[in-house]
Amino acid sequence: MTAKDLLNPHPVTITMEETFGGALEILLERHIRALPVLDSAGIYRGMFYLYDLWELLLPKAATIEGAITDLSFMPGSVEELREKVLEAGPRPVTQFLKDKEAPAIHPETSIKEAILMLYHHDGVLPVVEKKTRRFLGILTPWEILNRLRDKG
Amino acid sequence: MHSESAAKVIFGWNAAWVSSFIFAAVYVMVITEKLNRAILALLGAGLMILAGVLTQEAAIRGVDFNTIGLLLGMMVIVGITGKCGVFQYLAIWSAKKVKARPIGVLFMLSIVTALLSALLDNVTTVLLIVPVTLLITEELKVKPYPYLLSEILFSNIGGTATLIGDPPNIMIGSSVGLTFNDFVFNLTPVILVVMAATLIPIFFLWRRELTATEAAMNRVMKFNEREAITDPRLLKQSLAVLAAVITGFVLAHSAAIQPATIAMFGAAFLLLLDNFHRGADEQARSVHHAFSEVEWVTLMFFLGLFILVHGLESSGVIARMAKELLEATGGDRNVTVIAVLWGSAILSAFIDNIPFVATMIPLIKSMAPAFGGDEGLLPLWWALSLGACLGGNGTLIGASANLVVAGMAERAGQPIRFLAYLKSSFLLMILSILLSHLYLWVRFL
Repeated sequence: MTAKDLLNPHPVTITMEETFGGALEILLERHIRALPVLDSAGIYRGMFYLYDLWELLLPKAATIEGAITDLSFMPGSVEELREKVLEAGPRPVTQFLKDKEAPAIHPETSIKEAILMLYHHDGVLPVVEKKTRRFLGILTPWEILNRLRDKG
Repeated sequence: MHSESAAKVIFGWNAAWVSSFIFAAVYVMVITEKLNRAILALLGAGLMILAGVLTQEAAIRGVDFNTIGLLLGMMVIVGITGKCGVFQYLAIWSAKKVKARPIGVLFMLSIVTALLSALLDNVTTVLLIVPVTLLITEELKVKPYPYLLSEILFSNIGGTATLIGDPPNIMIGSSVGLTFNDFVFNLTPVILVVMAATLIPIFFLWRRELTATEAAMNRVMKFNEREAITDPRLLKQSLAVLAAVITGFVLAHSAAIQPATIAMFGAAFLLLLDNFHRGADEQARSVHHAFSEVEWVTLMFFLGLFILVHGLESSGVIARMAKELLEATGGDRNVTVIAVLWGSAILSAFIDNIPFVATMIPLIKSMAPAFGGDEGLLPLWWALSLGACLGGNGTLIGASANLVVAGMAERAGQPIRFLAYLKSSFLLMILSILLSHLYLWVRFL
């Protein structure tokens, strides 16, 4: 069994013109954690994660690996955080895409390999055509769990 | 020294030429930074042996294990101490002491950096101080650049003050037999003057630009530094061990105990305190973690470098270089001291001061007969230390701490540009060397 047999071919996606604020609205409305970003030709350009919101809300120094591991000395208020979200709202979502994200998988990727990647990245795996990076769908833990429950 | 090259150089080539060629090739490659310096130093060390300049036994004799042991021990101790948040505590506490006023915070963080650098390795110090600095400046909404620049400068300045503050001092102290106290008596006074003299131009450069709103300063004042301490028990243990180790350095001389013994024993003892209550599995993980925090790249670089320099030494190249230098300075000690100070400073601004000092140590040692024995060499050692350590401030690539700060600044989206740094730092470095020149002249010449 490979990613081709498991993927969800019709997930919610956004275009590269989408704003940070707009993307957050969609995440909240749909109760999902990630949104694949596609260009006008349907090519996969990256994944917008809830993780990008956390990064925005934290002080920069806390997002540098190993630099500051504890923030209990720093008080914070909802107003101050809301201000940050409002400020970032109109920025295009493409400014938030990073290479930290899970790498894309291909239709031929085996189920074991996909599970290994979920094990390491715990998120949503984009499935793209190998050469063109045309977006085909996503693979999330839910597709795999569903398949495991099925008897046939 | 020639007697050590009992090994036969391949093809009957001249040992001096072969060792010089290997050494120069490694040096050039290290400067170009295309390959990691530890790889280069170890390759070069291997070539020295394979080419027959040194036997393996001779190569091992060339390694100063006192330097390596001292660095390793301190790295383990600081790695464990850093885990409990004491450095964050110190930074926040000092910022609040000046009511979080931006220029006051700049002064306090600079002084804290210098103090910590004097007692710990510079790289470790900036690794601990820079993240809190970024945090505080972000809250104050002031640009972090002046703070980072100042922390680079003060980490190198503070590090010069003691035996354990900066690797060149560790190497000089270890190979010449100078004690912790020797460094404190001879270098700390001038470093205090350099610190004060560096703060003045920094104040005038930045005082207008660094302003923050009341609200921003209040946010920093609300930081609770006590909460930064994550493990009070470990904190007490590691501070006690650190204090004992430093007291050990001060007292060791009379008991003829080498610094590496004290640092390694301290490290082992702190590991014991941190682990004896854990189960076997957890101990294995925790000890593994403590050792993985050690900067092995630096230690391996030292290892290779000592062998490379020993190759040069045993083939007579160092003695010849010393002779040339003596001829150039007319055999006058005072001229030599000043030449070493300025030469070391300018070179260390552009190349790594560790290989430079490793080469200079045997070179200066071999001048002993010309200057009336080991006693006569003392001012030269202080000149080398001041030049090599303070010279590192000259450019962004002058010392490892500089590069570490630049790296973290980049990751926080606040890159430090080479030329922008050079503009203010080079003059401040020259100022510190002028003061050192004056000091050496008044006190020793």
